[in-house]
Amino acid sequence: MAQQTEPTATACPQLEADLVLLHYGDLSGVERQRLQSHTEQCAGCSVYLKELTGLMPLTVKIDTPPQEFWMDYSRELRHKIDASLENKFWWRPIAAFLTPRYLTAFATAATLILALTFTIGPGPWSSKHDLPEDELTEALPVAENLEFFRAMDVLDELELLEVMGNPANDAA
Amino acid sequence: MVCLQAAGELEFFRPPLHSDPSVGATTKGRTGQLANSGDEALVALAQKGDRRAFEELIERHKHKAYHIAFGFTRDREEAKDLSQEAFLKVFTYLKKFDGRSSFYTWFYRIVVNVCLDYKRRAKRTSAGEFNETVENQMEPSHNPAQPMAPEQHVLAGQLSRKVDAALQTLPAKQRTAFILKNHQGLSIREIAETMETAEGTVKVHLHRAVSSLRQSLAELI
Repeated sequence: MAQQTEPTATACPQLEADLVLLHYGDLSGVERQRLQSHTEQCAGCSVYLKELTGLMPLTVKIDTPPQEFWMDYSRELRHKIDASLENKFWWRPIAAFLTPRYLTAFATAATLILALTFTIGPGPWSSKHDLPEDELTEALPVAENLEFFRAMDVLDELELLEVMGNPANDAA
Repeated sequence: MVCLQAAGELEFFRPPLHSDPSVGATTKGRTGQLANSGDEALVALAQKGDRRAFEELIERHKHKAYHIAFGFTRDREEAKDLSQEAFLKVFTYLKKFDGRSSFYTWFYRIVVNVCLDYKRRAKRTSAGEFNETVENQMEPSHNPAQPMAPEQHVLAGQLSRKVDAALQTLPAKQRTAFILKNHQGLSIREIAETMETAEGTVKVHLHRAVSSLRQSLAELI
């Protein structure tokens, strides 16, 4: 922070803003002439104007980068623009595959895969769930019962055959 | 369909390759043609996707953009980054430029806004570190062709720090008006257009900035 001390000159307060414009050459002809003639007679305004002339250029920091700087500048900027374009249109490589030609190929490939899966494979609805050990032991007696019922069915059929083969039954 | 159109646009923005000498000659002719075009014509071409026209705009305005940014940052690398950021914003929003103001006014407004945004961000992150690199840069109004004596260098460094500190204490609008007038020599009307404010307001900002600086730098008078 700059140490603040009182400036040396005190210009006419109502003319200070115009003096600033006069310093920068931003006053129209009539106003400029009027203020110039005033500063010739007013010591405060005259010193104020001189202070501005001495002080304001000190606030300007001149920087003259070399030619290489400007070449790098343009090259870097071109890269940045390219990068921004890449970021902006990141979806384009994906979208490029959505052309009718590629869509047909995708659809054909998908159909083929599905057809092969249903034909060769076990099928998507086949149970891949193996029974755990304890459930298996419970399932086995049921299977034995099934065998029993099948045997019973055979007996029924034999009985039926006997009935069919016995003529006494026909008469009854 | 939109995707295809956009992809075509991207291709259009890519710089052309010139393996064929006749193509190079044509390009040279076109470059010369673009160099003779006005800003408005270049903007119109760039809006249609002509990358070369946009690059011509960059070449035309990069010095001014850089020096405006340098006026704010007083640091070469930061000024480069900020002015490039402004060009990127122009590239992104160029299609929205309706030509109601001149291109350079619109562009310098973007540069100023980028600088002020950066200043605000820098203030939030680390108060007072904005100009730490100032000493590495050249001193105020120093002609690089003439080397300075060591004691002159020290004095110039002190002066530079004082001026920097004084400039940083100015409110954003005052600093903007002051930099555009004192450093860039823009007219009051141009500054008003850039800051999107009335000329009278610019005069008030400028007067207040000059008064503040005169107070802060009184010991140098």
